Amino acid sequence: MKKLIVKLMGGERFQTMRVSLFCIITSLIVGAAILLAIGKNPLAAFGNLLQGSGLMPKSSYAGRQNMFTDFMSFLDALTPMIFASLAVSAALKAGLFNIGVSGIMLASGFTASVLVGQSELSAFIAKPLVILIGIAVGAIVGALIGWLKYKFNINEVVSSIMINYILMYIITFFINTFFVDPISRQSKTITDSARLTLSGTRAFDLKFDVSLAFPLAIICAIVIKFLFDRTTTGFEIKAVGLSRKAAKYAGMSVPKNIILSMTVSGALAGLAGVTYFCGYFASIQPGVVPSMGFNAIAVALLGNSDPIGCIFSSFLVTVISKGSIYMSSQQGVEMEIADLITSVILIFTACAEFLKMYVGRLSMEQGGSEEAGEA
Amino acid sequence: MSTLDTIIIDGLAFALPMFIMAIGGIFSEKSGITNLALEGLQGFGAFCGGLTAVLMLRSFEGSSQIPYYVSFIAAIAGGMIYSLIHVALCIKFRANQVISGVVVNILAVALTVFLAKRINDGVFGQPSNKFVLETSVRFSVPGLSRIPVIGAIFKNVYPFEVMIIVIAALMWFVMYRTPFGMHLRACGDNPHAADAAGINVNRVRTIAVMISGGLSAIAGMSYAYSITSNFSPDIFLGYGYLSIAALIFGNWSVLPTLGACLIFGFARSSGQALITQLGMPSSYNDLVRILPYLLTLLLLIFFSKHNNSPRALGEIYDKGKR
Amino acid sequence: MSDSGYIIEMKHITKRFPGLIANDDVSLGIRKGEIFALLGENGAGKSTLMSVLFGMYEPDEGEIFLRGEKVRIASPRKATEMGIGMVHQHFRLVSNYTITENIILGSEPLKRVLGFIPCVNMKKAEADIAALSEKYGLKVDPKAVISDLNVSTQQRVEILKMLYRDAEILIFDEPTAVLTPQEIEFLLDIIRGLRDSGKTVIIITHKLEEIKSVADRCAVLNRGKLIDVLDVATTSTAEMARLMVGREVSFTSDKTEAQPKETVLKVEGLTVEGEAGNEAVKDVSFEIHAGEIFALAGVSGNGQNELADAIAGLKTAVRGRIYLNGTDITDLSIRKRTEAGVAYIPEDRHNVGLVLPFTLSENLALKRYYKDGFSKKTIIDRKAFEENGTRMIEEFDIRSSRGNKTVTAAMSGGNQQKAIIAREIALKTPLIIFMQPTRGLDIGAISNIHKQMIAERDRGAAVLLISLELDEIMDCADTIGVIFDGRINRIAKASELSVNEVGRFMMGVEDKQGGGTNKVRTGGTAS
Repeated sequence: MKKLIVKLMGGERFQTMRVSLFCIITSLIVGAAILLAIGKNPLAAFGNLLQGSGLMPKSSYAGRQNMFTDFMSFLDALTPMIFASLAVSAALKAGLFNIGVSGIMLASGFTASVLVGQSELSAFIAKPLVILIGIAVGAIVGALIGWLKYKFNINEVVSSIMINYILMYIITFFINTFFVDPISRQSKTITDSARLTLSGTRAFDLKFDVSLAFPLAIICAIVIKFLFDRTTTGFEIKAVGLSRKAAKYAGMSVPKNIILSMTVSGALAGLAGVTYFCGYFASIQPGVVPSMGFNAIAVALLGNSDPIGCIFSSFLVTVISKGSIYMSSQQGVEMEIADLITSVILIFTACAEFLKMYVGRLSMEQGGSEEAGEA
Repeated sequence: MSTLDTIIIDGLAFALPMFIMAIGGIFSEKSGITNLALEGLQGFGAFCGGLTAVLMLRSFEGSSQIPYYVSFIAAIAGGMIYSLIHVALCIKFRANQVISGVVVNILAVALTVFLAKRINDGVFGQPSNKFVLETSVRFSVPGLSRIPVIGAIFKNVYPFEVMIIVIAALMWFVMYRTPFGMHLRACGDNPHAADAAGINVNRVRTIAVMISGGLSAIAGMSYAYSITSNFSPDIFLGYGYLSIAALIFGNWSVLPTLGACLIFGFARSSGQALITQLGMPSSYNDLVRILPYLLTLLLLIFFSKHNNSPRALGEIYDKGKR
Repeated sequence: MSDSGYIIEMKHITKRFPGLIANDDVSLGIRKGEIFALLGENGAGKSTLMSVLFGMYEPDEGEIFLRGEKVRIASPRKATEMGIGMVHQHFRLVSNYTITENIILGSEPLKRVLGFIPCVNMKKAEADIAALSEKYGLKVDPKAVISDLNVSTQQRVEILKMLYRDAEILIFDEPTAVLTPQEIEFLLDIIRGLRDSGKTVIIITHKLEEIKSVADRCAVLNRGKLIDVLDVATTSTAEMARLMVGREVSFTSDKTEAQPKETVLKVEGLTVEGEAGNEAVKDVSFEIHAGEIFALAGVSGNGQNELADAIAGLKTAVRGRIYLNGTDITDLSIRKRTEAGVAYIPEDRHNVGLVLPFTLSENLALKRYYKDGFSKKTIIDRKAFEENGTRMIEEFDIRSSRGNKTVTAAMSGGNQQKAIIAREIALKTPLIIFMQPTRGLDIGAISNIHKQMIAERDRGAAVLLISLELDEIMDCADTIGVIFDGRINRIAKASELSVNEVGRFMMGVEDKQGGGTNKVRTGGTAS
């Protein structure tokens, strides 16, 4: 057993990736155990997840729908998740936990919905404007959290959670008071020209959604990757994240880099907000903080806070969350099991560092015993 | 009843559960374990207690107080057991304690909602994610409650408020007068010193986190019996985080933390009283709900700069370090 | 029961750590009532051996006999129960507890409140401590809080901790490393007193004079192996040194006379705040010339850190001015000062000098990454990083498992320090600050660093050496300044001061020539 563990995860090549994979597979096994315990077939349930995400064909489809339409809808859900996890990882690089992604998403989504979503602007102006508003609102809130951190030494976890609730209640108040749709009890639906998703596009006899921002998410991931790996700014942010004292000693500005990384993180969270509330959805439910902001923490950790890693981990978590609707209807299981599996993944990911250390120690021991055996 | 009375009564009912939760946080953090998991611990405790109450109410008469107290015991047990996840992640698996706290909270939401739905479906045959509880009975102390203004403290008191005050006093004694308390505080300042003195650091920390689990659960159950009058996902409203802010503001000592909790409580209750007085529509309550959070932020601005957090807070204790 | 007369016998002890054998088949016997010294360089395995005896590590092989019986010492708690006590090099004290609380921690006297609730009996504890300190001549105030005490008093608390637990065997790990000569004398007297009252004492040290002065017998360790056990009275220090290092050593460094030239650093009336908002450096003035090593002596915590940080720009000056080559640099940022010509080897190489999770090549570029040659218009040139790294690794003989790509956290302390020194020297600045540059390193590494420091001086740099090791100060300095309680109370040519004089100034004795009277100030180390 120990030998197997070392074989699977020992050595330095792609170790992080292999450890992540190990965490995912173990979590899926735990998920399967839960499903078995409540009398469901885990393989069928996991298959439903893939089917619901358009990665495997379902047995039957409604008119004008097939696997492709499911997949397009999956991409639409994936887009904000990529932005949200990039937001968390951008802050993590500077050693900060941005738990405020949820609140920022609400704030940017709401601002864009109100300023552009109800206007008569043409799509060519409205859509870029929505994106710009998302970036601006997110950046401002992110910078505020960073500023509170360096100026007043307020733990960013506590401050960002306070800001989450403050934003949630303010927005709930405004929606309920001024922007409520009397039938759906949600905020008024935004216009199609402001929406970042082309909903109900018709082609090849199909009707599907097109996420216009998906390419932007991929580009953002690459840009962020470049920023952190190849620029002096990224070098400074990473140094600040790993050792504030050493960074200061080396002549870097700790406050500047903390605020900068939180601003970038906020801007990305803002993009997550507009692609979620003005893309995947077209309205906001009052009184709730979107859980995507919290799941994004899991996703970013799972992706080892690497931007490219985030794409893959977002993909996985979105398969679970998006597919859970279909699974729920097919298997009669509560949809929350998806959140449960995601949290289990998160627990294992939190132990990833320990796993690496443990594997290192095991392989050292085994190396030692082999030498003794030869002698 | 005067508005002032209402403010005091509601303020105490909100502040005291937060206070006992903050004491739990102090135990954990004074032993050296950062505990953001309070939010999840109180929610999970409320889940266990709520479930117990709902199950027991079926076999007891409506007026019996037994389910009430048993549900608190069940909540404490549940909170302590659930806190073992934070213990395992922080101590056994040496995870980052902030990450661990957040993870424990996320899991608490997912797990309790999933289980509540399943149990409601399976046992009670109704699709719901709530355990509906009666709001707790209240009592007034004869005589004392008639004193103007201060009398409100003794008026319409929830039984759990008395319980909390007794337990809080006991916990203060444990922390500052017993050998265990001395060991605990030593572990948070210099675990190497504690270890050299023959104290099992990880054991002390495990117990400390479990205490925080139990105390948070009392808070969660109290909220379930008062503010929300049920167990539902609404129990996760960030009160756990507010109590962390309270203990930071209270500089990790018990009495100033009580002060912080009272400020939050009274801010909240006076805001609500104001809305009622001015006859504003109920949607304005959402604006008032911001008050405790906003106040927390403002207070942190003034009190975070020079805090005395326990010196070894958040550090993974590695005995064999060369 | 053996009649060997040994209270402790360690037989064939072997302890391995990943990648090294700390103790290799070591066998020792220690007699009751003697002072036994363990001599060896850093990394020779002395501390590990004693940690095994104190139950902190379990040996991989070998046996321990205590009073003739074979024992297994699984934890420090077990060791304490068996009558073994240890004062660690880094004290194990709870900083916000009183002396009494620290001493009784883990074995508190109890009283019952209401007849059954257990509660710490602080009154009895305080009385016990007062009596104990009286008995052994270790004066302390039982109610004083640890963080307010100086190092020497804290050490006394550690000794009382052992005595409170009725320890028969007392282990001291490098007890004199942080003390002044006068405090050392005092400590050695206490140790002799402990022996005379029947205790067995083991001292870990690498200082030969102390062994000569206090110990009865001495074991020499080298690279984990026991070299010999010597009778101290009949062995010369030169012989001990030869055994310790494994080769002949010369005690004098081959340093040429200094050729000081123009003033490089001029500090005028500098006052700096400490962590607690107190004035840690008070009205300090001095000058350092090109081609001169100015060594600042002082007991730990007398403002050295703050002074170095203020010159390098990590702390701002409350009052006073700092001039570099005549230019006022007092208000410049850290980076501007580096560019103006200040290099700084900080005391804390793990948290300050290096970004530990960064690779070696990244750390070697830590102060120049933004400059042309390392990056172009904010785009980093990885190749330039690697070339710079390779060059420095060769020139300074930095050893690591994967060269440029090694994560510095995985490197040995000596090589980490080499990397920092390489990076700072490569800046070719007119001023270099060496803060405790040799702490925790072995003799080979120390002499290497001293050579580099002297080479920098000879190149024409002004060198500020701040050290707690008096030997280091005496070996390297051209000019010596002594700091006490934030003030420099003596500056003189190295040749004009004896070790004992420096020691006296370190304890706060006023400079007679300065016009003051010869008195000990409060807040000093005497008590």
